[in-house]
Amino acid sequence: MSAEPDVIRKCMWPVCLMGLFVTSVLSLDCNLLNVHLRRVTWQNLSLLRRMSKSFPIECLRESKAFELPQEILSHTQPLTRDIKEAFYEMSRQAFHIFIQDTFKSTWEEKHLRQVQIGLDQQLQYLEQCLEEEEENEDMREVAEDERTQSGTPVPQLSNLELRRYFNRIDRFLKDKKYSHCAWEIVRVEIRRCFYFFHKFTALLRRK
Amino acid sequence: MVLSQNVSAVGPLNLYPMVHISLVFGISYVLPDFSDESCTLKMTLRNLQSILSWELKNHSIVPTHYTLWYTIMSKQEDMKIVGDCTNITRSFCDLTDVWVNMTEMYIPKVVGFRGNAALVSCVGSFFLAMDTLPLDPPEFEIVGFTDHISVNVKFQSVAPKILNEEELQFYLALIEEQSGGTVKKHKPQINGNVTENFIYVIDKLIPKTNYCVSVYFEPKHPRKIKRSPLKCTLFQPGWESESSESATIGGIITLFLMAAVVISTVMMLKRIGYICLRNNSPKVLNFYKLSVWVFPELPPLEKVATVEVIHINRKKKVWNYNYDDESDSDNEAAPRTSAGGYTTHGLTGRLWPASVSSATLEDCSDPAAEERDLPDPEADAETLMAPGPSPWQSECTSRGYQGRGNLLQDPFSEEDSSPTEGSGDRIVFNVDLNSVCVRALEDNDDSEVTPMLPSGPEETVVLEDPDETESNLLLVASGEGTQLPFPGPSAQYPWPEDSPSDKSDTSESDVDMGDGYVMR
Repeated sequence: MSAEPDVIRKCMWPVCLMGLFVTSVLSLDCNLLNVHLRRVTWQNLSLLRRMSKSFPIECLRESKAFELPQEILSHTQPLTRDIKEAFYEMSRQAFHIFIQDTFKSTWEEKHLRQVQIGLDQQLQYLEQCLEEEEENEDMREVAEDERTQSGTPVPQLSNLELRRYFNRIDRFLKDKKYSHCAWEIVRVEIRRCFYFFHKFTALLRRK
Repeated sequence: MVLSQNVSAVGPLNLYPMVHISLVFGISYVLPDFSDESCTLKMTLRNLQSILSWELKNHSIVPTHYTLWYTIMSKQEDMKIVGDCTNITRSFCDLTDVWVNMTEMYIPKVVGFRGNAALVSCVGSFFLAMDTLPLDPPEFEIVGFTDHISVNVKFQSVAPKILNEEELQFYLALIEEQSGGTVKKHKPQINGNVTENFIYVIDKLIPKTNYCVSVYFEPKHPRKIKRSPLKCTLFQPGWESESSESATIGGIITLFLMAAVVISTVMMLKRIGYICLRNNSPKVLNFYKLSVWVFPELPPLEKVATVEVIHINRKKKVWNYNYDDESDSDNEAAPRTSAGGYTTHGLTGRLWPASVSSATLEDCSDPAAEERDLPDPEADAETLMAPGPSPWQSECTSRGYQGRGNLLQDPFSEEDSSPTEGSGDRIVFNVDLNSVCVRALEDNDDSEVTPMLPSGPEETVVLEDPDETESNLLLVASGEGTQLPFPGPSAQYPWPEDSPSDKSDTSESDVDMGDGYVMR
């Protein structure tokens, strides 16, 4: 019974922060989406680097190739909405990984909370902008159908590849029983993924 | 903040207990080198080159040479040796062409040897995109000129593969100048690859001031900036700049002088009236007012009367008759200026155009008045019109009246007394109203009598009848040799309203002489 106020006290601060971030996210302009994503992604990269001083060499042998789908950037002219959807899928999957409580002992909690808040903010922003873009989607859907008929890879494959990629990561953690080395390896891999999408924001800027 | 990897050197002796334990527990594995804080690894970008350097913490251990291996995290691969960094004596290795993937996590391993014995082993991990130290500033030189400072920045000819075009935009070159503590940043635009030397010019400098320049790369994302050491030069412009300054000052002074001359000239011309003439014309001549054009204001009517003096030049007739009495009368009396300032005319021989003669006047005239000036109408009037008549006087009066009418005829001209057929000469003269008799005409067509208008003494009377200009006449005389014109048959005169009040001023009372004449 005495734990409830403690829980409330513990959750009050992150909830308030979440509320502030949600409010700020909802008021953001979708025209500046690329700027926001670039900034938030870089912040998450910095946070992941600070979560651990150096990679433990003893965990090197447990490393695994998760096969990040870099081919999603190989499309000649990916549509802006496709980029946004890929970003949304990546943020959602990464948030699902970091929201687990099994790594409390591995990293400092404050760093982990900041990563969670950043990812959630990113998700809210992308949801808002994608909803706005759905209103003007009719013409684009016609164009996508034409592209499908011409033989060009369907953009939805990028989201499927991303889901498979994060599924491999999640399965790795479960197999390694969420060990310290497994989390360190996953941290390094997520950093690679975030940096990859950080370069992805350049496409949004050019459009 | 420099990121460093603290790795401990693992000696072979440390492995034995672990191997033993593994044998005991039935587990065998080869424990690779594990990190221990024995040296510090740093990854830097010097002149756009990826340089991995290391430094041992324990300075008592001095290897004779080093060898570098590395692997990556994304794949299960064995350690790879770096060929250019095998058995090297230096404590750094150029990995520009080896580590090219920015998204890769590289795991380097440095082993220090003394002979064939490994003394120390260092392992680290580097995520090139973020774990790379800030770029070392490029080499540069500064040269001071007379009016500017030139900064020559030197880059390496070969760009690292890890820096593609997108990453190159990641960095910016800034040049600072410090002068008396003032720091000014310059952000030169680098066009093309960041591998070519470029020259940046700093101008608009303060003479005789020491300027220092430092260059550095600044990433887009917040990172620590590594600045180059300052290189300073004293900016001393040469004669050209000084002379330019003096020329500038001289030019400014010249401009001021020219402006002063122009302004003074303009003021002088304005004072003279050569320019900017004042328009002191009356308002009636102001045609720029719209109201004037739309609603032209008629000038106030001035009541004037037309006065026309017609000269009738007559030839002097010499009367051969020997009339002693009349011989004198033939002679026209030369106009004599009276004491009152009036010009008199001798009219004795001319009073009657047909029968009127001066004799009449003489008969009627008061002997005392003979000596008076004849064309003095007043005197005449007094002579002829004096009340209290004697018979002869009344007769004279009537005759004199007529004669007087003729008296008023121009003695010098008998040709045409009609003003309508007159010579057209007009005379404007002053009239002493005290010396004239005034009569108001009333539609008298046959009136041959010259009316006299009461007006101020010695006032110029110019009467105009705006309606009838042909036959209208004029008036009155006094003064200075003017002749009395004759009225037309239907003359009408606008009497001046401002009749002088001199009438009342005169001691003489107005005497009605009959027929409308009022004698003063």
